[in-house]
Amino acid sequence: MSAPVIEQRTALRVFRDNLLAAPRRLLDSAFRSGKPHTDRTRSNFVFGNVFLHLHSVRTHRWTLRWATTAGLGIASTAAFLITLVTGVLLMFYYKPYPDAAYDSIKDIHFVVPTGRFIRNIHRWAANVMVVTVILHMARAFYTGAYRKPREFNWLIGMGLFVTTLGLSFTGYLLPWDQLAYWAITIGANIAQSPREVTDALGITEWFDPGGFQRLLLLGSDTVGAEALIRFYLLHVMLLPLVLTALMAVHFWRIRKDGGIVRPADADQRLAKREEAVYPVFTEAPAKTYQLAAIVRGRTTAVGRGPENTVPSMPHLFYAELAVLMLTAAICLALSLVSDAPLKELANPAVPENPAKAPWYFLGLQEMVAFSAFMGGIGIPSIVIIGLGLIPFLDREESGTGEWFGGPGGWPLVKQATAFGLGTAILIEALVIRFGWIREWFPGVSQLVVTLINPGTVLTLIYGLYSVWLVRRYNSTRAGALGLFTVFLCGFLVLTIIGVYFRGPNWEFYWSPSDWPKH
Amino acid sequence: MNRNKHLLLWSSVGAFLLLAVAAASENFGKEWRLIQKSARTPEGAVAVHLRQVINPALNTADRCVSCHTGMAPGETGIFGDRVLGAHKPVFHQPSEMGCTVCHGGQGRATEKADAHGDVHFWPEPMLPLKYSYAGCGACHTPPKVPNLNRLEWARGAFERLDCMSCHRVDGRGGTIRPGGGGMEGPDLSGVGLSGYDSGWYEKHLQNAAAANASAQPWKTSFGAISDADREAIDVYLSTRVGSSKLIEAKAAFNSFGCLGCHKVSGTGGDAGPDLSRAGERDPGQLDFTHVPGRRTLPDWLKEHFRSPITTVPGSQMPAMGLSENHIDLLTMYVLSLRRRELPSIYLPRDRVQVLRFGVREFTSDGETIYSAFCAACHGEDGRGRRYTGTQAFPAIAGADFLESASDEFISETIRQGRPGRRMPAWAGEAGLKPEEIQSLVTHLRRLGGNVQAKADNAPPRWVKGEASAGGRLYASKCAGCHGARGEGGEGPALNNAVLLSSATDRFLVETIGRGRLGTAMLGFNQPSPTRSALSASEIEAIVSFIRSWETKK
Repeated sequence: MSAPVIEQRTALRVFRDNLLAAPRRLLDSAFRSGKPHTDRTRSNFVFGNVFLHLHSVRTHRWTLRWATTAGLGIASTAAFLITLVTGVLLMFYYKPYPDAAYDSIKDIHFVVPTGRFIRNIHRWAANVMVVTVILHMARAFYTGAYRKPREFNWLIGMGLFVTTLGLSFTGYLLPWDQLAYWAITIGANIAQSPREVTDALGITEWFDPGGFQRLLLLGSDTVGAEALIRFYLLHVMLLPLVLTALMAVHFWRIRKDGGIVRPADADQRLAKREEAVYPVFTEAPAKTYQLAAIVRGRTTAVGRGPENTVPSMPHLFYAELAVLMLTAAICLALSLVSDAPLKELANPAVPENPAKAPWYFLGLQEMVAFSAFMGGIGIPSIVIIGLGLIPFLDREESGTGEWFGGPGGWPLVKQATAFGLGTAILIEALVIRFGWIREWFPGVSQLVVTLINPGTVLTLIYGLYSVWLVRRYNSTRAGALGLFTVFLCGFLVLTIIGVYFRGPNWEFYWSPSDWPKH
Repeated sequence: MNRNKHLLLWSSVGAFLLLAVAAASENFGKEWRLIQKSARTPEGAVAVHLRQVINPALNTADRCVSCHTGMAPGETGIFGDRVLGAHKPVFHQPSEMGCTVCHGGQGRATEKADAHGDVHFWPEPMLPLKYSYAGCGACHTPPKVPNLNRLEWARGAFERLDCMSCHRVDGRGGTIRPGGGGMEGPDLSGVGLSGYDSGWYEKHLQNAAAANASAQPWKTSFGAISDADREAIDVYLSTRVGSSKLIEAKAAFNSFGCLGCHKVSGTGGDAGPDLSRAGERDPGQLDFTHVPGRRTLPDWLKEHFRSPITTVPGSQMPAMGLSENHIDLLTMYVLSLRRRELPSIYLPRDRVQVLRFGVREFTSDGETIYSAFCAACHGEDGRGRRYTGTQAFPAIAGADFLESASDEFISETIRQGRPGRRMPAWAGEAGLKPEEIQSLVTHLRRLGGNVQAKADNAPPRWVKGEASAGGRLYASKCAGCHGARGEGGEGPALNNAVLLSSATDRFLVETIGRGRLGTAMLGFNQPSPTRSALSASEIEAIVSFIRSWETKK
């Protein structure tokens, strides 16, 4: 009987061949279109991948210029990914219960192998994220990226900005040290600040939105175990989910809104394409184009020639990976140099003096020192509403896609910078040198101070300046450019004063070495 | 695209380099690795690895020995830097008990600043070397410690009687036998803890009597000693628990009347906070606003002893006017007030005795009890004290008081205190036992120069004065200080039930007549520049009036 022997051998050989082919087949089944050598397989590589298909298949060359975006959006995404990874690692050791929380952070800091490093990375990546989100917003504003058709994505971006601040702020409480405890106490008092108005009107007893906000935030009258578990849940679950969802929409809309904003004459201004570097359409993309033609509305490719686009794989992905790695390197370097702070265990009986909020809220705290309501709720609301309205008020088209594009342009922004910095510094100097209404007329009603304080005066001056700009240039964009710039400058000045020049009792000091010794 | 490729390449290289640096410093650059590399034994270098002492029963994992390699289990003969040295000989083996049990600090950390707790805000920093013996307090509670005076007296006797020519105590004294055979007498440094033969004196005498010319020299030189000296030596020996510094610190605590206001292990007054765990306090939870220097518990305690009211706003503790040396001793004692949770096999005998069997932490002689409980208010000499911002505390060792107050009256006052005044009742669970109160009374009489109460054959209530006339006199002469209804003011309350029930009429009459030394109460037998004297019948009228509160209540 020879046949069974042959059959057995064949089966073994088949098995062997299959085994050898397994890695290749695994790759084939994962990346269905094979290696991305040609335009078709490259396209397939992008839209066949659940993570990559948020990108368009082809990317305009204008988008890939460093000066277009400076990679800020990707940098903030990268920072988020880094905090996500390090945050999950930290969760293995962190215990969200008041005293245990502090001990577990101590363990992470001192005992857990590389715990301190991981915590440093988490802290630095979070700060990098806040900075890049702010800068990314400024970039989008100055290049007119909020304009039609990207109005909605601008609003999503604002949501991302607020969520980022929320994530950073909720993370601040978790170490449960003095720094955290008092920063959150200040944050909770800002949430309670509508009371300033209801108290002045004498209606707090019946209508107390401030108290409700504070209670909602803390779950109790004081910062305690309830507040910690709330902040923990927000920090590790709710806000990351919200952020991820918003990010998905944000990215998707970039693609659907026609990619990164670029000037109408971008094609003409780009240097001639080097064929070797940017191969275009080595195969006829018949099917893709028919599909694209069916899709109604404003997509990347409809109505435009493909000449100045390149396959996203690999051109865009190299750029994105490069920014990701650069962000990672920056976070790592900062983490090696500087440790995340950890003060003594939170002690409700011994207030920090000065008790400072996280740095990005110190501009607000500077205004809160005069009026908690205006500084913490009123002016931020005005700013948020103003930012949200901009795309719907500025319907102009000139300058879209250009840095500081639009009437006035760069000279206007320079002038506004000088005006914004100057006014803010002037008012602060005045207040620090001569005091404010409260010092001049001690008996004055709080309502007056709420209405007239350095924050509102500055806001008013900035507003008037912007109205003047609108009239002078006969353009809403000019007013918006000026307004955004002066507010950014005001934020900068107030934040720097709050961080470096405020000491015990929120008094002005040139340096911490001048603080009163006890 | 090439620019992006370069950016990707170099930022990746950068990121991986930084990770490599972090990994290298985590794995190779650690302080303890470098220290262990520098260690040498006669056989050569030691193996470099993380060393630790683990004692699950004590819940310690002390990696201190990673740097202090000479103290690691099984390591001998290491030489090199001082940090590598072996532990000095102590009762507890560091290789078994670990390090943090005694020294505090953070055993799991592996860097110097972290482990020693010099990091800003670390809640359990290491005890400073100077106060190392305060660490004994984590597990031990030395019982029966006298005050400083008595301790000095006890040590004086021990040294005067030449016990140290044979015995070694706390690293001093002792003779090595000529021709080998070790020390002439056993080392007595720890006999207070391990216990010793109470018949030692008789045995020494017997040995000395049986000695011949060729016997050890001590046998021929040992002679009889007085009972007082024997008592002193027993006090001295029972406090030799291997930690003479801690005993001295505790003696200081028993010298300044601290227990009059503070509880330790359930005994003491409750005017001030319970101190049973005062040595464990987290420096981060203390207010250092008015403490100069470093933010450490010892510094805070010292400043607190110098000026309690500025260190703890609202504190009722007066500035005691202590010397820096005494402040240092008290700081050491308070640092020793820590309570480590111990499994029963590690629970030392002394702590069980104190916490479960009610053995006293102070000796029960009247002098020590007086200085431990009473001295802060009534003065070391019993002449009373007055601190800024408090009422005056009366003298109780004056002849005027001791002559008119019977032993029963004094012990009743100690037992029941004075409601409404700072004098607490000491009869309670946290207070004193009857025999201790008795020895206190005896000591008080000794303090006043052995003044005995005058014999009082009259019944406790013999005064039959005219209460209404007494009332008028009281209103003009007494109410200014004692209050219109005897509720007290600058002077003590007279309407309080304890005083009225325990004071005899004679005591009241005598006190009004002779006054009270050390207080504003001057005797009414004599006229003063501001008022006339009272006649005996007037004084009796006042006493009758005061007695009328007893029935009204």
